[in-house]
Amino acid sequence: MAIVAQSSKYGDIGRAILAWAVGLLFFFPIFWLVLTSFKTDADAVKPEFLFFFTPTLENYLNMTENYDYWRFATNSVITSVFATVFALAVGIPCAYAMAFKPTRGTKDLLMWMLSTKMLPAAAVLYPMTFLTKSLGLFDTHFMVIVVLMLINLPIVIWMLFTYFKEIPKEIIEAGQMDGVNTWGEIREILIPLAWGGIASTALLCFIFCWNEAYWTVRLTTTEAATLSKLIEGNRAPEGLFFGRLSAVSAAAVGPIIVLGWFCQKQLVQGLTFGAVK
Amino acid sequence: MSDRKLPRMLQSPAVILLLIWMLVPLSMTLYFSFIRYVLNNLRRPEWTTPSISNWRGLGNYEFVLKSKDFLFAIQNSLLIVCSILFLTVVLGVLIAVLINKSFPGQGIVRVLLISPFFVMPAVNAVLWINMILDPVLGLQGIAVAGINETVAGLRNTPLIGGFFSLWPEFNPISFRATQTSAYAVIMMVTWQWTPFAVLIFMTSLQSEDQQQKEAAILDGASAWSQFRFLTLPHLGRPIAIVVMIQAIFHLSLYAEIEIVSRGNGNKNLPYLIGEFANNNIGAASATGIFAVILANIVAIFLLRMVGKTLME
Repeated sequence: MAIVAQSSKYGDIGRAILAWAVGLLFFFPIFWLVLTSFKTDADAVKPEFLFFFTPTLENYLNMTENYDYWRFATNSVITSVFATVFALAVGIPCAYAMAFKPTRGTKDLLMWMLSTKMLPAAAVLYPMTFLTKSLGLFDTHFMVIVVLMLINLPIVIWMLFTYFKEIPKEIIEAGQMDGVNTWGEIREILIPLAWGGIASTALLCFIFCWNEAYWTVRLTTTEAATLSKLIEGNRAPEGLFFGRLSAVSAAAVGPIIVLGWFCQKQLVQGLTFGAVK
Repeated sequence: MSDRKLPRMLQSPAVILLLIWMLVPLSMTLYFSFIRYVLNNLRRPEWTTPSISNWRGLGNYEFVLKSKDFLFAIQNSLLIVCSILFLTVVLGVLIAVLINKSFPGQGIVRVLLISPFFVMPAVNAVLWINMILDPVLGLQGIAVAGINETVAGLRNTPLIGGFFSLWPEFNPISFRATQTSAYAVIMMVTWQWTPFAVLIFMTSLQSEDQQQKEAAILDGASAWSQFRFLTLPHLGRPIAIVVMIQAIFHLSLYAEIEIVSRGNGNKNLPYLIGEFANNNIGAASATGIFAVILANIVAIFLLRMVGKTLME
């Protein structure tokens, strides 16, 4: 170990500087977005105000007037929250059965669920539009919730399964001895024990729902339109509205980035289906 | 209740929902891909309602294969996906190795680095194509104009003026143009997904055998050979997983392409499907089936890989 520590002081300093440079470089576009959001639309495109300018909150205060931000934000919150809750409600019993009462088919079932995630969304674009329109569900919260829940259900079940698997079977079986029924087992033993895992699964599911940008754009127009749709609809301001567009964009991604910081570790598990540890 | 029935009952809601979600729309796509089905056609109004009597066999597939957009869309899809994969894996490995050893502020750098991953695709595209890459008003335009101005000023200085007068006037690149919009998409998605690769490689590096490394150091192995013969083989599996997961996500890229150029010269398969779906549903469905086949080729490898570690 002595040799490692000795290796070179300058090398370590150089490495730290380089690491910081890389981190700042990757964060720079987000910093730039936030910085631009405090400039007026006129200042935002002037080179002389690149870094030094009179900051203004105008863009944030006028978000409702300019973009009707809160309506889209409310839709994003409603659809993401309900989709997450429903995904958990369906996913928890399923993952419970898979983890504690596995059968020979469990592995295949898990793989099949994962494979549904790999179906390219665009391939079923028209049938989905056709179905939602003919059922009168186009541009409704209900439809967005159902779709968001379904596209995230495989990941939710996988994540829950990997968490539940870690819980010793004996604890659950002890509950059975005491004559608790299945629902009681899930509610009184499993959920309190796996609370951390369930919370991070929910968080990740919520983030994925919030950022979803295919179905939320194609299956809505105004009523159930989410923030993805709002930003997509204002895609090319040609420099006219850089300030206000930055503000609404920052407001759309800010909360999620902060949430994301809290579930970095779970992200690895959730996205690699437990294959990288 | 018997031991066998109970798990089935608990699993059935999830299974039934996913089964419907998978089978109903996909079988409709399959059906539409074999019939003539258009949304508007004044001369042949019978084609505007899906019906088995409009059977076209493999006609839609033939039509799609012969359209010049299709081959281009496949090429472009592959160009975009492969470039992103290459860049994210290379950058991801380098950055993960760089920040894996502890240094002051490691936690903060991690947080800074992971942030792009949580930016929603629509914001990512709007931010890059406008505020950063716009050839006049974005950072790129401003930077290029600044360089040109500085160079022009230096031309008149004595001594070094002669050197700078050899410099050309730089032109900013318009990333909304036909040839360049794919590069804009590659850039923004690489920015977003490199953090993902870094995160996974870092997780994996933490389980690297430290004793082996120390032994290598004692044997006088150089930093490069440690990386080449210990770290890189250790990362083999995570790299494969990052490649496959990203391939699946990026084969269905849509928002970025729509926002950057409205697919102008930069179509990929999902975009082409969207275009066909404005009128020619038969062709859109046939293209969809091709997209499913392409995704499945990737998916089979991924599922095999994940399946191996599943019940450990």
